[in-house]
Amino acid sequence: MTSTYEKIATNTLGSAAASVTFSTISGSYTDLVLVANWGVSVNGDGTIIRFNSDTGNNYSDTELYGTGSSAASQRRSNASFIDITRAIAGDGTNIYTNAIINIQNYSNTTTYKTALLRSNLATGTYAGVAALVGLWRSTSAITSITILPASNNLLSGSTFTLYGIKAE
Amino acid sequence: MATTYTLISSVTVGSGGAANIDFTGIPSTYTDLLVKYSIRDSNNSISQNINLTFNNAGGTAYSERLLYGSGSAAQSFSSSSAANINFQYATGVAATASTFSNGEIYIPNYAGSTAKSVSVDSVVENNASGTAMGLNAGLSSNTAAITSVKLASPSGTFQQYSTAYLYGISNA
Amino acid sequence: MLNTVLGSLSSGVAASTNSYESISTVTVGSGGSASISFTSIPATYTHLQIRAIIRGTASATNVDSIIRFNNDSTVGNYYYYHQLYGDGSSATSNNANSDTTATLYSFAPAANATASVFGGSVLDILDYSNTNKYKTTRSLHGYDNNGNGFIILRSGLWMQTSAINRIDLTPSSNNFAEYSQFALYGIKGA
Repeated sequence: MTSTYEKIATNTLGSAAASVTFSTISGSYTDLVLVANWGVSVNGDGTIIRFNSDTGNNYSDTELYGTGSSAASQRRSNASFIDITRAIAGDGTNIYTNAIINIQNYSNTTTYKTALLRSNLATGTYAGVAALVGLWRSTSAITSITILPASNNLLSGSTFTLYGIKAE
Repeated sequence: MATTYTLISSVTVGSGGAANIDFTGIPSTYTDLLVKYSIRDSNNSISQNINLTFNNAGGTAYSERLLYGSGSAAQSFSSSSAANINFQYATGVAATASTFSNGEIYIPNYAGSTAKSVSVDSVVENNASGTAMGLNAGLSSNTAAITSVKLASPSGTFQQYSTAYLYGISNA
Repeated sequence: MLNTVLGSLSSGVAASTNSYESISTVTVGSGGSASISFTSIPATYTHLQIRAIIRGTASATNVDSIIRFNNDSTVGNYYYYHQLYGDGSSATSNNANSDTTATLYSFAPAANATASVFGGSVLDILDYSNTNKYKTTRSLHGYDNNGNGFIILRSGLWMQTSAINRIDLTPSSNNFAEYSQFALYGIKGA
């Protein structure tokens, strides 16, 4: 019997890696939820996300964030990625960052793809809390998701789980 | 077939109120924990913080970064080396009667051997301009698996009909 | 003496299975829709969640939409909204009570936004059938339009203790556009 909320795949890094990719994502769900708990090898390095290996300037985002001392908002347009930790970044040593990324109607071939996400890093030089909405200007169904640091590696022990939600 | 999203336990506060809601004996068989809560506190204010701790550990293990809205201003706050994570909200008794907060606490990899990072979204509603709403990033530097989660009123009690629900999310 | 309420998982107590279930889904067809409704919502769940992609047909870059419960449009029964949002240049928190016959739902792109751009929304209502509580909504939603857009945490209040058995979503002007989709889920708490 199909459950409404199902794990699709999970990836826990046994050693540092340049990226993590979820590929051949089935189109049988309605929404995707990606839960990530990770660290990056260089302090201050952000983490980005791409769909279907698209490295073109087909992404943009609007972010709301708090640093612990100031509340702010920023935007990126015509980018080659969505930066899921735009205003926050890992501390280079610990697995302290988490993000929950919602992608509704990811397999709809009529609409561009919108991601709603929360990201969190409670301590460190680049700590902060954020909510972000990202856009991938493609009507293609999302069949792969790649997560990678902007410049360096994901730490060993980082975990990424992709869930599917199926609307009846 | 493995079940991904499972209710582990729920609590409803009875008459007389309660100082804490404590989920104990949490098995390690899930991957993430999710707490949904709807709480009203005895504090005579529109909102009241809720103290969140794991495994009854206090000390200096907790840090957080908050993005906060009062209904008239957006602000950000931080806390470090603290005895709890407390930037999540209950409705206080100065807010509209019968109104309870709406919050969610997500803890990925709660049974792992690394520090525990937390994502909290919470809102307090009120039939007036003032409110409290926040997006909070929390962290417990304790690397032990979480076996208990406690929500506590800092100085009063959770009111009757306050509720909290603990869910396990499994990647098995 | 202050007391603690324990939620303990003791031996012999089986965890609930399949706590998250789909209740109903509405996809807007060609020609758009002036509103969408979820009716006859069973009381067998504890929480409701609406996950949606939304676009309006109003001649504007964006449009808001409202939510009503149980067909209630009584003046004074709602607080319109409180919110915390970012517009790409600044963070703002504000509120309004200009319409007390509904509460605000989601802010989404409309006809003048780039084609094919839809907003995303996740709305949560806890204890929706609890007859001791007014109903508080919490949503995280927004859209990006490659140069403009909003990301919003928003809350609303329905000041009735009745169990919610119906939800109506209506754009503030014109219609929801074709391909907008609203999926209602129930989450068990017992």
